Parts: sequence; structure tokens; C-alpha cells
Amino acid sequence: MRFAVLGAGAVGARVVRQLVMSPGVDGVVVADRDRARAGLVARSVGEPVRTGGCDDGDDPWWEGADVAVLASPGGDHGQVAERLVADGCSVVSVSDDLGDVEALLALDARARAGGRTVVAGAGFAPGLSCLLAGHVAATFDRVDEVHVAKTGTGGPACARGHRQAWRGEAHDWRDGQWVRRKAGSGRELCWFPDPVGPEDCYRAAAPDALVLVPAFPGVGRVTSRVGASRRDRVTAHLPLLLRPRGEGRLGAIRVEVRGQRSGLHDTAVVGALDRPAAAGGAVAALSAVALAEGRLRRTGAGGVAELVDQRPTFLAELSRRGVKAAGFVGAAGPS
Amino acid sequence: MTFLRRAVLALGVTGLVTAVLRLRGSGGVPPQTGGWQELSGPDFR
Repeated sequence: MRFAVLGAGAVGARVVRQLVMSPGVDGVVVADRDRARAGLVARSVGEPVRTGGCDDGDDPWWEGADVAVLASPGGDHGQVAERLVADGCSVVSVSDDLGDVEALLALDARARAGGRTVVAGAGFAPGLSCLLAGHVAATFDRVDEVHVAKTGTGGPACARGHRQAWRGEAHDWRDGQWVRRKAGSGRELCWFPDPVGPEDCYRAAAPDALVLVPAFPGVGRVTSRVGASRRDRVTAHLPLLLRPRGEGRLGAIRVEVRGQRSGLHDTAVVGALDRPAAAGGAVAALSAVALAEGRLRRTGAGGVAELVDQRPTFLAELSRRGVKAAGFVGAAGPS
Repeated sequence: MTFLRRAVLALGVTGLVTAVLRLRGSGGVPPQTGGWQELSGPDFR
């Protein structure tokens, strides 16, 4: 199997490392606008990683790859994926940008027609959050509601994206239709796995619901919230004065699934705690390997909750690679 | 004198904004029982 990775930042470097750890990987090309950074990643990992150019001339970076992983800063993943699909390459995107995920999902018909697959939102959240939601939902007879909350950022590009998410509109799924609400509204105190613990979370222009709704036909409500401090919310509309740190703090996700089990209304809460770039890189790499091995449910575009066939095996492999998930046992409490 | 008035005004506005933000509080009730438990082998079947 051969892979091409666009982006050698915090997430891209992890994707490359995780791909190399997977059996059956013959080659990985890493490309970045900053060639020196791509070279650094290639040298630090060694064989079979080599660098590729970002220009799309005679030797495009995805040439010969079974799957291309987009781990570059969000904003243009839809356009890049469109070119890749047209060129006969399947795509895995880690972007958590709402516009990117909308554009990627819109490639569904084109990807199906070409027998290719586009995996949208294969990072920390969406990504790991979708896998956990799907895993827990399988224990319900009927899923009524899915609520996702996340906190933390990957690299600097991810931190910038999060600031933009406070300026847009949140997309919530309610009673069979999309409801748009102002980002920054809907404060809810969410309890993440320790040591992150409680954090105020708000609606944001996050794409989680877009990839979760198709995975749970008939679901009544799907919402997503993002953790923020008061300073984050106050300064969201101001220019970024300081460059974000190279790698964000510890992040966490919390997924709450409500529905019917054995005729009774029940709630299950699962979560995960990790550096978002590390966990997101592992999810993207395993998704790319599953895609190259033909282990996804179908061709076309979708999120990991919908496309990954054997979620328990996938989560067990993530756990083996250090991405640990946790379940809340006992009384789930208010949120 | 003008400088002093402006400084006092700036401090007052800062204090007011801080008070409003703090008063909003976090709210919510922590889970009374239970806790997080790592998912392992049997949970992935």
C-alpha cells in the first residue's frame, strides 16, 4: 500500500508516523508548502517515507498513492479532494472546518461514480468522537439523540480554525431538520474525562453533526459543542495577537448517546483524553489503511461513523497505539 | 489630572466587565456518583 500525506504539521507528522507503524505499507510521500518541514518529518521517520512537492506539475504529490491523507490547514480540503477524486485517488481528510466537511460530503456522487471513497472528518473530533458514538450506539435498539462536546486543539492551524468557529453558525440536527444557531450560544457545563474535568462548552461552527446524522438514520437530535474559556469567547472576534503554540494542550471529547435499550430509555456517555493532534493522526492513518485494504462499508463520501465497518476492532487498534477511550459508569449526571 | 481620571475610569470599566463575566459563573451540577473507566478488550467486542 502506498500513501501520500499533504501537511507536515502536528497532525500530518503523526499521520506519517502511524502509517509507517502499520503492516503492509510500502511507501509514504509527505508534502508540505514548507518543504523543509516535510523533509524534517521524512528524515525523522526514515524509510519508507520520502518528500514530495506541493506543486501540481508533472509529478503531483499524490502520484501512485492508493490513498491521499489531507492533513494540511483546513479551508481548501474540498477543492483538493475534488481534484484527487477526479484523478482516481481516494481521500481521507482530517479537517474540522465546517465548509471543508460540507464540500467533502458533496463529493459523494462523484466519488461513487468513480469507485472512490472520501472520508471526511477523520481526526479527533469529528473522527474519534464519531467512532465512539457509533460504538456506543450499537448497544442501543434505537438512537434518539447524540451530543458531542470537545475541548483542546491540535497544531497552530487548528487553533486558528477554532477561533473562526466562534464567528459562524452552529449546525444542529433537530426533529429531522437542520437548525442554525449563533456560535457561542447554548452554554453547557460538560464533564470530560479526568484530569480535564468540567468545562463550559458552547455551540460553534463545527461539522460533527454533518457526519453523524447520516450514520444514525432516524436520529432525532444531534448537537456538538466546543469548550471555551471566557477569554476565548471575548477575544474570538479580535485578531490573533500571539502565534498559537506549536502543539495544543491535552484535549478531550465527550459523547452522549440517548435512546431505547430493552424497551427502556437509557443514556450512555463515553469519552477520550489525548493530545488532539496525536489522536487525530492515529484515526486518520487507520482510516487510510482501512480504506486502502477495502475494509470500509462503501465508496462515496461520509464520516468514519458511517464508513468504518468494524468499529470495535478499530477502537481496539487505536487503544493499542495509545489512544485510550473511557466510559462513564454510574449515574451519568446532568451533562 | 485628566490622566488620573482616565486611569480610574479604565480600571472601573475593567472591574465591571470582570465582575459581569465572573457573576455569570459556570453553573451545572457535577455527577454525584460514578466515574470514568477506561474501555479495554471486552468493551471492544
